[in-house]
Amino acid sequence: MSALGGAAAGGEGINPTASVIGIVILLVALGITFFIASTGGAIALIGIIIGGALIGFGVHFVPVGGAPAAMGQAPGIATGVAMLAAGAGLAGLFGGAWAAELGFAVALGAGAVGGGLMMAITCMMVNVIYVFGMGIPSASGKVDKDPITGDTFPEYKSQGTEGHGLPFISYVGGVIGGTLGGLGGTLIYVELLAVYEAALPVIYNAPLEEILPVAVSLAGIFAVGMFLVNAVLTAYNITGTIEGPHDPKFKRFPRAIIASAVASAVCGMVAIMVVAL
Amino acid sequence: MSVKVEVSEGGVPHDRIMAIGIVGSLVAIYLTYLNVLTGTQIFSFFGGIGAVFAIWWGTDSIKTLCSYGIGTGVPSAGMISLGSGVIAMLLATKLGVAAPIGLVIIAAVLGVILGFLSDKVLNMNIPVMIRQLTELTIVGALILLGFASMATGSFAFIDMITGTTTFFGIEVATYSASLIGGSIIAVIFMLGGIAIQHPFNACLGPNESQDRTQMCAAECGFLSMIAVAVMSFAFLSVSAAMLGLLVAFIGWIYTYNEYIKLSKRDAYDWLDAKPIREPKGGA
Repeated sequence: MSALGGAAAGGEGINPTASVIGIVILLVALGITFFIASTGGAIALIGIIIGGALIGFGVHFVPVGGAPAAMGQAPGIATGVAMLAAGAGLAGLFGGAWAAELGFAVALGAGAVGGGLMMAITCMMVNVIYVFGMGIPSASGKVDKDPITGDTFPEYKSQGTEGHGLPFISYVGGVIGGTLGGLGGTLIYVELLAVYEAALPVIYNAPLEEILPVAVSLAGIFAVGMFLVNAVLTAYNITGTIEGPHDPKFKRFPRAIIASAVASAVCGMVAIMVVAL
Repeated sequence: MSVKVEVSEGGVPHDRIMAIGIVGSLVAIYLTYLNVLTGTQIFSFFGGIGAVFAIWWGTDSIKTLCSYGIGTGVPSAGMISLGSGVIAMLLATKLGVAAPIGLVIIAAVLGVILGFLSDKVLNMNIPVMIRQLTELTIVGALILLGFASMATGSFAFIDMITGTTTFFGIEVATYSASLIGGSIIAVIFMLGGIAIQHPFNACLGPNESQDRTQMCAAECGFLSMIAVAVMSFAFLSVSAAMLGLLVAFIGWIYTYNEYIKLSKRDAYDWLDAKPIREPKGGA
C-alpha cells in the first residue's frame, strides 16, 4: 500500500557492499561500547542487537494488509506495518517489563507470550469482522493452497482482488510474529534495565530504590524508540503489504535482519553512552 | 527505483524551510536557557515554540520523502523520526549548555546511518532517503527536547530526572516525580509523534497545497503544546506554566482559524452545515 499510489520501491536481493559496510558499523559500535563501558556494556549491547534482529525477523511474519485490506481487496490486517508491529511489540514489552523482577527467563517468556497473545486476539477479531461484518471469506492471493490446513483458495477469491480476509497461515504467522517481536522488545528492555540499575546509583550517589523509576523509564523509552526504529526499517524492507510466511516477500528477511542488527547496535551504543560517559 | 509521484507546485523551497526550521528551533530552545541566567522559570514556553518550529520543518521533510512511493504510509516516517530522535535527545541532554547543538550532531550521525541502512542495505533506492531520514531524526530529537525543556524549564539531564514532591507540607526532592522518572517523556513522545505524522497524512492528495499543509503542522504543534503546558504545572511555578498555556492556546486558535481559511480557499465549495433543528411546536 502506498500512501500516494506510487509504485512501491524495493528490489530483491542483497546489496553486498552496503551489507559489509553495515556490519563494519555494527562492529565499530560494539568496539566503542567495549571501550567506554567495558565487558558488561558490550554483553548488554550484544543482547540488544539480538533483540533488534528478532524484531526485524518477527515483523515479516505479521500479515499486514494496509488500506487495500480495509476495503476487502487484499488479505491481512487492515493497517500499516509500523502500527501493527508497535501494537504487538509494545504489548509484549509491557508484559515483559512487568515480569522483569521475576528473572531473565520469566521476563522474556512473559514478553513473548504478551506479544503473541496480542496478535492472536487481533487476528481473531479481524477475522470476526471480515467474516461476519463484511461478509467476505478468507482467501490468499499469493498461494493456491494453505500450507497448514490444505484449504484451497482460488474458488473463493473475488475477481480483481489479491485475495481477502485472514487465512489460517496468516493467523499463525501473526502469532509467531507477535511472539518474536515481544521477545525482542523485552530482551532490549531487560538488557538496558540491567545497565541502568548498575550505573545510575553510582553516578547520582542514590540508593537503588529511589532511582529505580528513572532506570525503568529510561530503559522503557529507549526500548520503545528502538522498537519503532526496527519496525519501520522492516516496514521499508517489506514495502507495504505482506501476507505472512508464505508470501514471496518473506524471502527478503535476511537484509532486514542485517539492517535491524546494525540499527540496534548504533542506537544501543548511544543508549549505553547515556550512563557511561 | 521508484517514480516521484507528486510535489506541490510553487511554494517555499524545502531548503529554505529547513533553514528556518533548524535556526528557529535552536534559537527558541536556547532562549529557555534565560531561565538559568535570570533565575526564573518564565521563559520555559520558548521550548514549545522550538518544538513547533521543528514540527513545521519536519512536515515538509515528510512530504519530500513520501512524495516517493515508500509503500508504508506516512505515519511510519513520523514513528522512525521520534523513535530515533528520543535516543539522540537523551544522550544530548548530558552535554549541559551545548545540548541543543550536540543534539543536532548526534541526531545527524544517527540519521545518516539509518538512512544508509534503508536506502542501500534494504535496497529502497530513493534519492532523498538519506537526507530526509537525517532531517527527520534531527526533527524528532528537537521536538522532544523542545517539549521536555518546556515542561521542566531546562534542557539538562539532571533536571529531567529530579523533581520535588510535597510530603506533609515539606518539599522533598525525589526521582519519581520527574520528567523521566514519571514517564512524562513517553507522553511527550506520543504528542510529538501525532503532531508530526498527522499534517501531511491529512492534507495529501492531488489538491495538496504547501501553505495549508504547513499551517496544519503549526496547528498540530500548538495543540500538542497545550497538552505539554498542562503537564508543566507539575514542574514549574503556576505563573510560568500559565504563560505557557496562554501562548500555546493563542497560537493554536490563530493557526486553527488560518487553517480553516486556507481549507475554504482550496475547497471547491463550502457548506456551513448547521445542526438538525427540531421543528417548532412539535410534531
